Amino acid sequence: MKKVSDSLKINVEVMDQEDVIVVRQEIRQLMRGLGFSLMDQTRVVTAVSELARNIIVHAGQGRVEAYQVIDQHRIGISCIFTDEGPGIHDVQKALEPGFSTANSMGIGLGGAKNLCNEFDIESALGKGTKVTITEWLK
Amino acid sequence: MSEIEKKTAELLKKNEKQIHELWKTLLIAKAKNLVEMIGLDRMKENTLEVLGQFSALLSSGTDIQMDDYRQMRKILGDLSKDLTLKNMSPSETATFIFSLKDAIVPVFQKEHKDDRLLMDYILVINRVIDQLGLYTFEVYLESRESLIREQQQAFMEVSVPVVKIWDRILMIPLVGMLDSTRTQLMMETMLTSLEDNQANVAILDISGIPVVDTLVARHLVTAASAAKLMGAECIITGIRAKISQTLVQLGVDLSGFSTCSTLADGLRMALASTEQRIG
Ligand SMILES: Nc1ncnc2c1ncn2[C@@H]1O[C@H](COP(=O)(O)OP(=O)(O)O)[C@@H](O)[C@H]1O
Ligand SMILES: [Mg+2]
Repeated sequence: MKKVSDSLKINVEVMDQEDVIVVRQEIRQLMRGLGFSLMDQTRVVTAVSELARNIIVHAGQGRVEAYQVIDQHRIGISCIFTDEGPGIHDVQKALEPGFSTANSMGIGLGGAKNLCNEFDIESALGKGTKVTITEWLK
Repeated sequence: MSEIEKKTAELLKKNEKQIHELWKTLLIAKAKNLVEMIGLDRMKENTLEVLGQFSALLSSGTDIQMDDYRQMRKILGDLSKDLTLKNMSPSETATFIFSLKDAIVPVFQKEHKDDRLLMDYILVINRVIDQLGLYTFEVYLESRESLIREQQQAFMEVSVPVVKIWDRILMIPLVGMLDSTRTQLMMETMLTSLEDNQANVAILDISGIPVVDTLVARHLVTAASAAKLMGAECIITGIRAKISQTLVQLGVDLSGFSTCSTLADGLRMALASTEQRIG
């Protein structure tokens, strides 16, 4: 998988709910431009909403980046969510439905994984969390 | 109180008339908008008042947070608030007090050019006027913020309209972002309207919500549960196929609630449950 076209790149610092809205809009626009269907846009933007809000709720602040990617015959979009928050103690558990340390629904992280083609998470206690999602154009 | 401050106050008093004239001239020439906004009479009155206060206060100290400066702060604060409401910019607003420097310095330079302490007097003047300028800014920002808060409040209130679409049936179209504050307001509005209209069904239409994620879902569930507790039913409409698929994948379970894809379906459902028919 190769990252392409820096001009299509989104790079937004997120600190509050308003930033989440901006990120969602920009990613939707990027996807529309790449020719993704409305259904794909809806799924990915919902995942983006969950992951960006997790940054705000669980880590305080962070960054969302998105760019076009290419892989042999396909093009797609990757979104990266990074923060330097507390990290996740047990990632496996955090992905289970209903697990929440914030007393909320606890389905955002696992849900986001279900909503996208690819999902990758790295987290280190005390260091932060990085989630990458990728969606391919069919 | 230091000797310098006392001496500065004396000079100010002595040249008050001349400074006042120059200050007014400067304001009229350089801050036309401001003078127009507050009016010539009030400008004359305020400048005279500030100047009078200034020379009287200098001899008690140069810290404008002191109690003695209360009246001075009030004059400038009121002016600042007024100008905020009139949409003047913060720098235009601060011009009022900052231009006093430009009125004092030349007069001092002309009248006391041989005084070796001239620089010191000017420093005293600057110290006080700078603080007053900052104070003007602060009041300006505060009133701006409260103005914005009020407008947001007003906007939020109109943004949760309740439409009585049928006997005992209400419809609430939700648009934009459904954050906690909006949800709270929506719920209050919904519950009071249910009661006021003796309605049994509230239709929440979410077609105007751009992204339905777990937070929105949670808010909807909370609202629907509150309606249930009041003995009313809540029907959520506008859950189009794309959204319902997404919700399933996300793991949101709305099966305990009545949901429909279109408002028309929702109304049909509401009519059935209130045992009413069209026509
Ligand atoms: N960026 C993050 N930093 C730290 N912890 C996180 C982050 N994202 C998720 N988590 C942890 O994973 C849990 C599950 O996340 P999620 O499924 O979105 O549920 P919720 O946000 O409702 O708690 C959270 O409660 C939190 O403990
Ligand atoms: Mg979450």
